[in-house]
Amino acid sequence: MAQMWITMGPQHPMTHGLWTLRVKVDGETVVDTEAELGYIHRGVEKICESRDFTQVTPYCDRLCYVSAMTWANSYIYAAEDLLEADVPERAEYIRLISAELQRLASHLMWLGAFGPDIGNLTLMTWCMRDREMFLDLLQELGGSRMHYNYPRIGGVKRDIPVGFADRMIAKVKLFERRIDEYEMMLDESTIWLVRLQGVGYANAEEMVEAGVSGPNVRAAGVNYDVRWAHPYSVYDEVDWEPAVEKPTSVKGADCYDRYRVRMEEMRQSCRMVLDAIEKIPGGKNTNYANGDEMIYQKAPTRAPEGATGFSNYECTRGASQFYIQGGGDGRGKNPYRLSIRSPMFITIPFVAKTMIGYKVADIPAIMGSFDPCIGETDR
Amino acid sequence: MGTTVTLSQNEAAANDCLAAINDRFSGSGVVASVERHSNAKKYAFVRITTPPQHWQALAKWLRFDLGVNYCSMVTGTHYPEGPQERGWEVAYHFLRQPITDQLPNTHTVYVAEKLDGRLIPMEFEVLIPLENNDSPTVPTVQHIWGGADWNEKETWDLVGIKFEGHKNMHRVLNPHDSPEGFHPLQKQHKIRYHDHNEMYDDAQGFGRKPADEGRIK
Amino acid sequence: MADTGENFAAFNSRALVEMVGGVTDEALKVTKIKQFLSVLAGRFFNWAGRKSLFTLHLGIKCCAIEMAAAATPRFDGDRFGVLFRSSPRQSDVLLVNGPVSKKFADKIVRLWEQMPEPKYCIAMGECAISGGPYFQSYNILEGVDTVIPVDVYIPGCPPRPEALIDGFGLLREKIIRIGGAPSSERESEKPLIVGDE
Repeated sequence: MAQMWITMGPQHPMTHGLWTLRVKVDGETVVDTEAELGYIHRGVEKICESRDFTQVTPYCDRLCYVSAMTWANSYIYAAEDLLEADVPERAEYIRLISAELQRLASHLMWLGAFGPDIGNLTLMTWCMRDREMFLDLLQELGGSRMHYNYPRIGGVKRDIPVGFADRMIAKVKLFERRIDEYEMMLDESTIWLVRLQGVGYANAEEMVEAGVSGPNVRAAGVNYDVRWAHPYSVYDEVDWEPAVEKPTSVKGADCYDRYRVRMEEMRQSCRMVLDAIEKIPGGKNTNYANGDEMIYQKAPTRAPEGATGFSNYECTRGASQFYIQGGGDGRGKNPYRLSIRSPMFITIPFVAKTMIGYKVADIPAIMGSFDPCIGETDR
Repeated sequence: MGTTVTLSQNEAAANDCLAAINDRFSGSGVVASVERHSNAKKYAFVRITTPPQHWQALAKWLRFDLGVNYCSMVTGTHYPEGPQERGWEVAYHFLRQPITDQLPNTHTVYVAEKLDGRLIPMEFEVLIPLENNDSPTVPTVQHIWGGADWNEKETWDLVGIKFEGHKNMHRVLNPHDSPEGFHPLQKQHKIRYHDHNEMYDDAQGFGRKPADEGRIK
Repeated sequence: MADTGENFAAFNSRALVEMVGGVTDEALKVTKIKQFLSVLAGRFFNWAGRKSLFTLHLGIKCCAIEMAAAATPRFDGDRFGVLFRSSPRQSDVLLVNGPVSKKFADKIVRLWEQMPEPKYCIAMGECAISGGPYFQSYNILEGVDTVIPVDVYIPGCPPRPEALIDGFGLLREKIIRIGGAPSSERESEKPLIVGDE
């Protein structure tokens, strides 16, 4: 049988972003793959060398656009390491709440895009409807549906509004029942199970050695989460557990495990948010003014040459890191070098290799289950 | 309550690693130290500075003896005004993640406080300063960590640092037909409008002429 | 069959169709029915076209998420006839929702050329209008209108789904004015910007 290369080109409904996957097929079976990235390479690292530390935050929102708050937080921790800034505790709680709400919205976006890949178009409408609930909450905090520019070096921009706590608790409690609905619809559906189980095995050791992290690796039974291993914010004071899924095969985790681990992560995020809002210092119904010392502490704006900042953060798709070197233009007002580590940049070539041996029809299932987001890949 | 790695565990692990590295590599130009973050919980990490000729030996030892199994980031920086011995620098960042055998129907659950020894997660930073010349070269570690593969390609693509022994090096973010020797993150390349003073008078940009006008059509 | 002047049947089917067609055309022109029919057909196709703007399923960057949100129950673009098609051959509108990099520029021009007339281009978001926050980048074109003629601009970063739906509304008004004019002859039309009034 003749073998040929097929290009699932940059414009493709199932690639979840702009990248090319070239597959070599022998009949229906995938024999080899090649991934090509870089279609939205914006040169963010170069542009940020001409921006202040505060002006970099909107660029970090736009790295992984589905999960903007977590990337902004990730950059802010690195900038605080560089500039040696302290953060008040209430601000850390607010950052945790905003990051976990964003994680919920991002996982819902993933599920809403993954469902149509498998053929379940209902999921798109259901998930996006539920995601709007969380976007409304994030809009109350940050002012916009997607790019909030919310955290500041030394705190957060503004406090949680009055009444936000009650609205959030109501929505999260409603959503916890909705997760049950999703699971009922999907786990009892033969088509879903047949298309996801036994497809796309990825071994835990290979994944860690290749640099994959996050829910993809936790689906293979490895309990590694930056939130407990290299703790930041107040994750040690909030009630939660890492969501780990037991793989049923020595070959590793299949797509079904990766789907299950994200559903479990959504449950854990709900739990974290409900706990954090009760424990927040200063009360959940008080609203401090912008710049109040409960939520913001003025930080130095210049970093001397030779200073470096590094942050390790659990973003929705893996461990994201920022490495910033100080001493740039403006006598240290700008970073000299800002380097961004995107978990998806490593995962996508790995996913391309995972697909070898399966059928062409399994490609969207495998690709979607790893949750690619090309904005952070191409920087 | 979320159990996390405690500060004392973290410090003990960092000091153990430091002792092991000094034990093995002291006197060869490899300098290790335990640094502390200034953010979040102010945890410790291990920073190692090594000359390029010892890098592969150090990398093998880190991977197989110290258990550093996750290469997360490779950063290249250009210091055109730096000293002669540090005109370029490659910074590798690693994590040590604890994994054991993955048998079916099990998952390794760690109660974080009970971890000890080589199982405690730790961050590593390896800095390799290179001479201030036109052809910076670093030996590759593509065969040691899978995560270094595409990161090294990206570093060459953007910064221009060559990785000796790297198989299948190609442009990964810039277009494939970029001019030979075009590595945008080098400091002599400036961004567009970098000296455009009218940016503040002409905020709407009416006076700007896009540089790519009529490029394809 | 080759037309080499063989004089066997003067009435092979192709020549017959051309002759009948030519006669009918003359007859319709003389009685002005042709003019009436083309105005009617033109108006009908204009109406059908603007009520069913099939958009290419292209998601470049963040604005694609707002485009997806505009198709979902809360904002529902489908009630305006906006449906997403996977192939450029079957779509009317190219909605550019992100920055166009040098690597992607050839491909987006190719997608544009593969779309059949009448076709329209909407630039959604700052990156597609002028390069957006990345206007200084070495790899991003300063707006998609350097390579493709744009009909409607929707500012915002990202524009809300309501703004996208308003952009489609402006495009519908434009289609009423210009009908099916090919995109290369639309240079004199002023491009529309959402929020300009």
